[in-house]
This record gives sequence, structure tokens and C-alpha cells, in this order.
Amino acid sequence: MIRIRGLHKSFGAQQLFKGLDLDITRGEVVVCIGPSGSGKSTFLRCINGLEHFEKGEIIVDAIELHSIRKVRPERQDLEAIRQVRLKVGMVFQQFNLFPHMTVMENIIEAPVRVLGRKGEEAYRDALALLEKINLQQKVDSYPDQLSGGEQQRVAIARALAMRPEAMLFDEPTSSLDPEMVGEVLSVIKSLVNEGMTTVIATHEMGFADEVADRVVVFDKGDIVEMGPPEEIFSNPKAERTKVFLSRVLKR
Amino acid sequence: MKQFLRIFSLLFGLSLLLYWATPTQAKSGALDNIKKRGYLLWGSDAEGGAPYIFPDPKDPSRLIGFEVDIAEALARELGVSARQSQNAWDSLIPALQRGDFDMVMNGIEVTPQRQTKVLFSIPYYIYTEQLVVRKDETEIRDINDLKGKKAGTLSGTVAQDILMNLGSVNVRIYAGQVEPYEDLAIGRIDAVLLDLPIAAYYGKTNPRLRYAGEPVGEGFYGIAVRKGDDDLKIELDRIILKLLQSGELKKIYEKWDLWNKAQDKLLAGVKDTSGYSDIEASKNAPVRTFFPMLLKGAGITVLISVASMALAVTLGLVLTLTRQYGRPLLGRLATSYIEIYRGTPLLIQLYILYYGLPNIGISLSPVIAAVLGLGMNYAAYEAELYRAGISAIPKGQMEAALSLGMTQRTAVQRIILPQAFRIALPGVTNDFIALFKDSSLVSIIAMVELTKTYTILAASTLRFFELGIIVAVLYFAMSYPLSLLARRLEERLKGKSR
Ligand SMILES: Nc1ncnc2c1ncn2[C@@H]1O[C@H](COP(=O)(O)OP(=O)(O)O)[C@@H](O)[C@H]1O
Ligand SMILES: [Mg+2]
Repeated sequence: MIRIRGLHKSFGAQQLFKGLDLDITRGEVVVCIGPSGSGKSTFLRCINGLEHFEKGEIIVDAIELHSIRKVRPERQDLEAIRQVRLKVGMVFQQFNLFPHMTVMENIIEAPVRVLGRKGEEAYRDALALLEKINLQQKVDSYPDQLSGGEQQRVAIARALAMRPEAMLFDEPTSSLDPEMVGEVLSVIKSLVNEGMTTVIATHEMGFADEVADRVVVFDKGDIVEMGPPEEIFSNPKAERTKVFLSRVLKR
Repeated sequence: MKQFLRIFSLLFGLSLLLYWATPTQAKSGALDNIKKRGYLLWGSDAEGGAPYIFPDPKDPSRLIGFEVDIAEALARELGVSARQSQNAWDSLIPALQRGDFDMVMNGIEVTPQRQTKVLFSIPYYIYTEQLVVRKDETEIRDINDLKGKKAGTLSGTVAQDILMNLGSVNVRIYAGQVEPYEDLAIGRIDAVLLDLPIAAYYGKTNPRLRYAGEPVGEGFYGIAVRKGDDDLKIELDRIILKLLQSGELKKIYEKWDLWNKAQDKLLAGVKDTSGYSDIEASKNAPVRTFFPMLLKGAGITVLISVASMALAVTLGLVLTLTRQYGRPLLGRLATSYIEIYRGTPLLIQLYILYYGLPNIGISLSPVIAAVLGLGMNYAAYEAELYRAGISAIPKGQMEAALSLGMTQRTAVQRIILPQAFRIALPGVTNDFIALFKDSSLVSIIAMVELTKTYTILAASTLRFFELGIIVAVLYFAMSYPLSLLARRLEERLKGKSR
């Protein structure tokens, strides 16, 4: 469903990706791990067009995102990116809820404005989503009245309200207090169990082990190794993977 | 210590009040002072003041005019030199009372009202009021045809009183003598009534204008000195008489093309200053009779402020959006607009808009020019406030909106701007208050708003103090609620992020 070939990306003079390849099939759960600064976020952001890249191709469900020009992109480039974003939802480390809108408004804004759905219908769907994450009593709250865990669950519901075919999670629990990590992970877990195509960047190794079909190890902009979790966690082949795992698992 | 400070500031305030409230009583021997000092300090307004006193077109650092010639003759007779002190015409008398100069000579008409405030010398010139119209004018033959027409004049003059007393004349009041004739020539007004010397210099010389009818309303120019400076007044009287008898004054008037038969009466020593009584009656009226005029001025201030703020808020938004999200070339244009408007004085912008544009064939009405001028100026400041608001919003907001499939346009409209507005709101409210007060600047383009109403009323009644307090209270009553609103908004924003 998502196909990446020869992805090149640099920040100024500093080259980060020197030709990444990855194929993600429908319904697959891919977990990206690796030290901070290894390029996990940038990778996810390239997939839904928040970062431009210089070379290579990204194909999402037959829509091609080739090297997008950052300076003065053409109208059709922008429209292609938007079509990709409609298929791929994204959840950020910092939640990024809209602070001037209630929980309900946050969720129905895009379905109504972008998909042109009727307010009533969008409202009913949003309520169903909120019930699933057990936040129906917060419909009229504003983001600053919610805990971090609640905010992140709303952010997930907001992305799901667009009925995406795949979801990207960029360290969804990294800015949460430890006691709230569980509630967010269990929401993601139930989503995965429903068969959603998912790419997650995370530092939660236990969680990765539990949900991943495939684990991808990043280091300094390279994919150093990938494979099923049992293989990566108990029998890593690459030296860089061993170093990384020993460092996280010591903690 | 605190107690002491409080008492001290109270006393300071009181003494200031007293200083304003009572005209400075001159010490005896004003004449001796001048002689000791070696120069005669005379107050006048050289701004657009031809032929009275104005910068020499050939050497603008030098002041010329018939009153300059007279002042030099007076000083010579006193055995001292003459020094001019520049002061706005409207406030020459209060400045004299405050002690800024020894005397005022600047086409000051001798009126009973002014006589209660200052001492006048014997007249040195007999003025008449001359009506000027466009060459192609067919309807206005004299002052009686002005009903329903727009007539311009200077603030605080006898001509203004005459026009006001005609009733049903749409009187436009200007601060300078050039502008009414300019506006007449391009058709913004239908006639100008002003003292003959002014009409002779600015009206007669303009090929598009001509005199209409005979001069009306004979009156006298006198030199004003402070009450109590009787010695100076007597000496000035003696010298004026001497200059009249020797023919030196006549020579000066002939040089400036101001001599006419009316001046013969000067020598005859006419002392009759009647003919003002009905006009004068209103000047001693209780303050409340000025309220309708002041309230009308306040209404115009509100109208102009609200209309120009509406323009500023909208145009500012367009500028910001163009600058932040528009094509690079347009963005640079918007940036230049903002820099230019913030980097030049509002006064100059207003002058160009109202008096400059007619040169290239665009003639705006005063209201339009006022609203455009203020609105376009403040738009630059609002644009900066919005920009600050937008840049205060975390990058993640735009990314979240885009990741939901919104176009940039929708994201800006629905997510970025609502938040940016909240941040900019206190600043915008503050600017509205500032604009309220800046709106007084539009009086230079013949808009009679609150400040202008004040200067007109005060200049003709000389009640600067009480009217000033009333006008200040009116401004305060309009801007204070806005201040409160701004503060409440600020506090609310500090407490919550939404
Ligand atoms: N906007 C940016 N400008 C410059 N360098 C960046 C930017 N974003 C990320 N980088 C750099 O790219 C590298 C990868 O960052 P990131 O993708 O955030 O890593 P991770 O998510 O794995 O921690 C880092 O070295 C980081 O400094
Ligand atoms: Mg990251």
C-alpha cells in the first residue's frame, strides 16, 4: 500500500537519507525504532508530505509523491499531497489539538470542511469514536481541560474521523506522564487489531514486540535492519541494532 | 515620605491649575523690560500667512510681509530690534497671556470679546471681508447667495462668524489660508470668505478665481498686549499714529497692494467697534449652549474612527495574508506597503491624499480622505499585530490541519487566524484607542471633528480652559470603555489559551 524507493533527504548541507527503500502492505503494522535523531520522525513526515525530499519516490495507494519541490510547488503537486493525506492519518508527539475548539469541534472540523459531510452525521460518528475511547463525557471540553493521555486519544479520534486507510504515529506516548502511556497504547492496540495499516515510531519496546508485524531499525538516517519482532529483539544481526537495544533495555 | 510626596504632588497640581486659570499679570514696566532686553518679541503665525508674514519664496529662511515691515518700524521707533516668535494663529492670544511674547500682531480683529482678554492698540489696518468664487460661477453674486452652498473660511475669524450667522450655509473651516482657495479652485467648495489681504494674495492671483461682490464687514486690526502693560500700549499707540501721519504706513500698504480708500478712516481715528453685538452675545453664553456643537463633533470623531478602524482591520488582514502566504512578488509589495506607511508621518499621508491627489486629477471628499488616510495608515500597524499573532502559533497547528487533508487556505481560515486574532486582539483594541485620538489630525483636511470643534469654539470665545476640560472629558468618556475592554481581553487571554 505504501511503497518507498531510493528516498533521499537532506537538511541544508546535512544529508540524512541516502536512498531508503520500504514496502508496507495493506493491514501491516510496522514499528520504527532507533536512537533519537536517527530519522524516524522525518521518515513519517515524508510519507504524508510534511517534509519535501530531493530524490526518490513515495507511492501511496497508486498516488505518486515524487521529489516535491519546496519552493513554489505546482497546484497539482499540492493536490497530490492532499490526496495522500486523506488516505494516511497522522498522530503527533505533541497532540496538536486545536486549542480554540472543543473536543467535538476538533473531531468534526475536517470531515465537515474537507469531506463535506453533514454536521449531524459527522457529529454522530464523532460520538461513536469518543465512546470507543471512553471520552464521550468530554465532548464539550476544551483541550486545555484534558490530561495529556486524553488529549492524545482525542487526536487519534480526530485522525480516524477522516476514515483513513493507514495511520502514522510519531512517538505518540513520548510526551506523556508514565501513568497515561497505557491508555493511549491500548487505543492504538485495538485499532491495530481491527486491521488498520499502521506505521509507528516509538521507544516502547514491549509495545513494539507485542503489536509489530515488522520492526524497522533506524540509525543515522539508515535502515540498518528489519524483520519480525522476535528476530530483531532476541536475535539482532546488525551491530548497530545490538548497541541500540542494549542501551534501551538497560534502562 | 509617601505622605510628603502626596502633598507635594497635590500642591504641584493645584499651582498648575492656578497657573492655567489666571492669566499671568504682567509686572510693571513692560516697556522698560523690552528696552533693557534690546528686542521686541512679537507673536504671529508665518505658516501660510501671506501677505501678513510668510517665508520669502526667494529665501525661505527670511520672513517677509506687511506686518514684518510694521514690526520693524515699531521696533526702530522703540530703539530696539524686532524678533518674531512663531505660534499657531488659533492660540496666539493664550500664548500672549501666558507671557510667551510682548505683543501679538497678526491680523487680529479687534472684537469686544478679545478686548476683555487683552489690551488693543489703536487700529493699524482696516480690513474688509471679500467673497471669492470660481471664474465660471454663475449663481453666487454676493454673500446673500450663499444659502445651501459650501463656503470655506479660516478658523476663529470674523469671516467665520459672518458665515455662521447667515444660517443654512455649509461652512467649511480650514486651519490655513492656502487650502480653502485650493479646494475652491478644484470645486470642493463654492466660495471663500476671508479678510481682504488674504483674498488679495491668494484669491486674486489665482487665474481660476475671481472676486464676487463688494467687500463686507469692515473691522480693525489691532496690536494685542497683555492687560496691565498699559505703558507698552500707550507707546505703541503713539508710534502707530506717528507712522500714519508720516505716511510710512501708507507706503508699506502700497508696497503690498493693500491700500484702499477705507484706510483713510484710520487717520480720522475711528473708534467704533460696534456691529458685533449679536455675534458677541453667543460668546458669553453658558457652556451648555456649546454642547450641541461639541456632541456633533464627537459624533463625527466616532464615525471617522469606527469607519477607519474597520478599514484598517480588513486591509491589515489582506496585507498579512499576502505577506505570509501570497506569491513572493505580492508579498514583497505588502511588506513595502507596511514599511512605507509605518515609516512616514500620518500627517504627510493625509496631506498627499487630500491636497496632493487633486494634482493628478483625483479629488476626494474630506470624509473619504479622512477614513482612507487613517484606515490605510493603521492597516500597516494591524498587519504587524496579526503577523505577531500568527508567528506565536506553534508550527504543529498548521501541520495537524494539513495532515487532516485541509488545504492551506482552509487551515489558515479555520485554525491559524482564529488563534492569531485572539493573540492580536488586545493590541488591536489599543490601536483603536490610539486611532480615536489620532483622528484629530484629520482636521487639517477640513473635517470638523471634536478637536477641530474645540479649537474653533475656543478661538472665537477664548475659553480654552473650560472647553478644553469638557472636550478632554468627552474623549475620555469614549476611550475609557475601550481601555477597560482591552484590559479584560488581555486578562482573559493570560488565563486561558483559548
Ligand atoms: N527541520 C529540521 N531542520 C534541520 N535539521 C532537522 C530538522 N528536522 C530534523 N532534523 C535533523 O534530522 C535528523 C533526524 O531527526 P528526526 O527525524 O527528528 O529523528 P528522530 O525522530 O528519530 O528522533 C536529526 O539529526 C535532526 O537534527
Ligand atoms: Mg522524532
